[in-house]
Amino acid sequence: MKPKVAFFDFTSCEGCQLDVLNVEAELLDLLAAVDIVNFREVKTEREENYDIAFIEGSISRESEIPRLQKIRNQAKVVVALGACACIGGVNCLKNSLLMAEALRIVYQDDARYYDTMPARPIDAVVPVDYYVRGCPISTEEFLKVTKSLLLGKKPEIPNYPVCVECKMAGNVCVFERGMFCLGPVIRAGCNAICITSGRYCWGCRGLVDDPNVDSEKDILKKYGLTVDQVTERFKIFNAYQEVAK
Amino acid sequence: MEQKSVLVVDDEPIVRESLQDWLEDTGYQVAVAESGEEALKIIEKQDFSVMVLDIRLPGKSGMTVLREVKAQRPWLKSIVITAYPSAETTDEAKKLGAIDYLIKPVIPDDLERLIRETIESVGREPTVTAKVEIRPKPPVVEVVEVKKAFTITKDSLKSLVESLAEEMEVVGVKSRHGKYVYDRIASFDELCLDYDVTLMPPTKYLLPAKETLLRFKVGDGSKVEPVIEQLPRAIIGIHPYDIKAIELLDEVFMTTNPDPNYIARRQNTIIIGVDCLNPSPKSFAPCMGTSLTETGFDLLLTDISAAYMVTVGSEKGASLLERYAEVREPTGDEIAKQKAARDEALTKYKLSLDVPKERLPKLLEESYDDPYWESRSETCLSCGSCVMVCPTCFCFDVKDEVSLNLKEGERYRQWDGCMLGDFAKVATGENFRHDKASRLRHRIYRKGKYILERYGKVGCVGCGRCAIACLADIASPLEAFNAIAESAKIKEAARRIIREARLETELYVPRLAELVNVEELTPREKVFEFKFKDREELGHKPGQFVEVSVMGIGEAPISISSSPTRDGTFQLAIRKVGNVTNALHSMEKGAIVGIRGPFGNGFPLSALEGKDVLLIAGGIGLFPLRSLVQYVVDRRSSFGRVILLFGARSPAERLFLGELAAWSQSPEIEFHETVDKGDENWKGNVGVITTLIPKVDFDPRKTMAVVVGPPIMYRFVIGELKKKGLPDEQIIMSLERRMKCGVGKCGHCQINSVYVCQEGPVFTLAQLRNLREAV
Repeated sequence: MKPKVAFFDFTSCEGCQLDVLNVEAELLDLLAAVDIVNFREVKTEREENYDIAFIEGSISRESEIPRLQKIRNQAKVVVALGACACIGGVNCLKNSLLMAEALRIVYQDDARYYDTMPARPIDAVVPVDYYVRGCPISTEEFLKVTKSLLLGKKPEIPNYPVCVECKMAGNVCVFERGMFCLGPVIRAGCNAICITSGRYCWGCRGLVDDPNVDSEKDILKKYGLTVDQVTERFKIFNAYQEVAK
Repeated sequence: MEQKSVLVVDDEPIVRESLQDWLEDTGYQVAVAESGEEALKIIEKQDFSVMVLDIRLPGKSGMTVLREVKAQRPWLKSIVITAYPSAETTDEAKKLGAIDYLIKPVIPDDLERLIRETIESVGREPTVTAKVEIRPKPPVVEVVEVKKAFTITKDSLKSLVESLAEEMEVVGVKSRHGKYVYDRIASFDELCLDYDVTLMPPTKYLLPAKETLLRFKVGDGSKVEPVIEQLPRAIIGIHPYDIKAIELLDEVFMTTNPDPNYIARRQNTIIIGVDCLNPSPKSFAPCMGTSLTETGFDLLLTDISAAYMVTVGSEKGASLLERYAEVREPTGDEIAKQKAARDEALTKYKLSLDVPKERLPKLLEESYDDPYWESRSETCLSCGSCVMVCPTCFCFDVKDEVSLNLKEGERYRQWDGCMLGDFAKVATGENFRHDKASRLRHRIYRKGKYILERYGKVGCVGCGRCAIACLADIASPLEAFNAIAESAKIKEAARRIIREARLETELYVPRLAELVNVEELTPREKVFEFKFKDREELGHKPGQFVEVSVMGIGEAPISISSSPTRDGTFQLAIRKVGNVTNALHSMEKGAIVGIRGPFGNGFPLSALEGKDVLLIAGGIGLFPLRSLVQYVVDRRSSFGRVILLFGARSPAERLFLGELAAWSQSPEIEFHETVDKGDENWKGNVGVITTLIPKVDFDPRKTMAVVVGPPIMYRFVIGELKKKGLPDEQIIMSLERRMKCGVGKCGHCQINSVYVCQEGPVFTLAQLRNLREAV
């Protein structure tokens, strides 16, 4: 029987779900392989009976916690989808502010109608089985993880830094081009897409399991960044981890 | 006067004798003199066509000899040889009538050609001119021979490249962001032949970052087919150090277990090298003996400003020149220019080894515990840049990818490297090189020692790419070698045509086997019985392993649990720990798996025969050892006493209960068993396996112990066996490692210079004593 798959979103731009729809060439095959029972971006019908839950977004309001827990209780497999769900992502930038101040900056006079709390990845609330990383996710990786789940195989997500794939792509090192890059401590799997496109690594896939962050910071400083600039760069996607350290 | 007679004047006997032998073989009459005085005496009595004269002689110098010869025998042509060329001496030698000069070490071919041309161009006409004879431009060559050098104009080179581009893919060096890269060349003008170093080495065309090995179908009509690319390609502008690196890869991939994918690419590749005249500031190729090469290329270019010299390295190269290029014999002046260009390039290298490279293996051997590894690796990012850019790195990982319908897929390999954290990590979670220091040391040992010892070729070609790529500035093998030389207080002052490798497509293709029986041993462990679809036997020895494939999931090394004496089928006892084993555990009778192997050495049966054997198994160590127990039981008369010790963690984790019971009853086996922790029903021994050893009485002079268990067990068991006086040579162990490919290529199972899947997994303790990191 085809597994029932559901998609959910919390605090996020829902861009990762849109990327799921971007599989185009393989969309029909995907629909043949799974039953999508819950996907707000695609259909209005909903079913509360599902096997695999893909969850986008970070948790930034108290009310999101019981909703997430309910999904966890229902799903056999929970997959975090995208940087917000996996590592907290850009939402966690506000964590260094007082929440009242953050509300005032965003909503100004209407702040009193909203509540918020420091943002966190979903695994800070419920256990997560697998991660599809990145901002946005790579559709290739989403398909890879999905196929692995269908096969009953643990998805092979790289635990080495972006440098590996960047070298495979034959890129000139960002540092040699006079820019700064988080690639040496950030988990690969993106085929170094940003660097290949002429930019640098922002760190959207999060840190590898055993990152040498101290050495990376020394290198960034050696190439001319100040401590504050280094911290700022890390915080864009990895503010949650930065505080945890 | 003799038509073709040569006088060789040199004080070094080796030079004198070798030139004499060579020239005589080529048809000249040769006389030799070891000093200027002797030479002059001989010349007084006899005429020669040509004199080959060393400049630096004891007594009368070469210059004095030239001066006196010019007065006495002005028609005698002289070719001067010198190890120490300078503009002054060569100019003066020419003024004194020398036709040309050669720089030591003299290549006999070059000298012979120069002598021949001198004789042919001058004939027997004596000449007294003090100017260097300008010989007529030699005619365009019609027959091109291997190992010869010719002159090719830039226009002719251009048409050679353009003709090649019509027949095949042409790649070469291009500029990108101010750096150099190998890429497809659309026109000759894009091609850069004067560069320092490329970002990535050209080896990527022989061993691509990602390469499909197999394509398969699963389910009904399952099949597996090898995928082998055979795209003709010419790589233009490879520097000698990279050619040396390719020669190493040839050795690795084309000799033992010839790799079909590599062979197909290699045999379809034309290598056109170019001498590196402006090296990278991080390069130290001369110290590694790789700044020049005489082998490994089809053609090799040297830029001599107005034109290129082209050296022919193979029949393929010769035919290329014959078909597509106009070349001519080089003039003496052009040969000299080539030498001068190469010599000048040598002066541009900034870095050097403080020890001769020949001493590196020994130096590293003595520096295993040097604090350098720890301190140097502190800032290592484990980012893998050093290994990714290295031309002599060839390790890889193998993975499966399936289509969404889950019915077809491919197995591919992808670059992997020993500097990455998880490289030596096995499914159970054990990481055999878990810290940065041991990874850095392993890499440097590969570069300076292991590869040299295993393949007889340098493991580091001194290109300097890793030193450029490493953001933490710790990757340069040269710096590591020098630092070690320093700390060891050793400081001393301090150049093949592709063999006929057979393309066998089967290396990575599993044979299909049917699961004929499954039996549960514990909730985590099952024993699987297989039979090949083609009904062939596995043909294994006890202690060997196979690579088991579940297409779409992957491949895993599994030891064989049954003895070859039990024919027809073979058994694999398997614990559920990773993707492949999980998939196997969900299989039922009739399922099809892929099997490659058997691989590895197996237990040393001939060394065990006639001896008392003490077999010790801890936990699932019984899986491989069971093959030996069965073997010994089936050939009981070939062995002395048979003592079997088995330890499990708890009664619930005991394995092969039926066999355990049978062994304990058998008069042929002395069987002792223990559990780490008992339960209310357990009445047997309680305690770790080492507690059984003191209870057994055996004669250390005629007993061979075979120990298999988890890594942690070995140290303690060895301790107990040593207490009993058992020599290292009589303690045999089987090691667990991440044996991804099984054919000594992928690098994951390597311990020092040893590949466990090839030389192991069975070793004696005596062997392991010299193999740090083993237990």
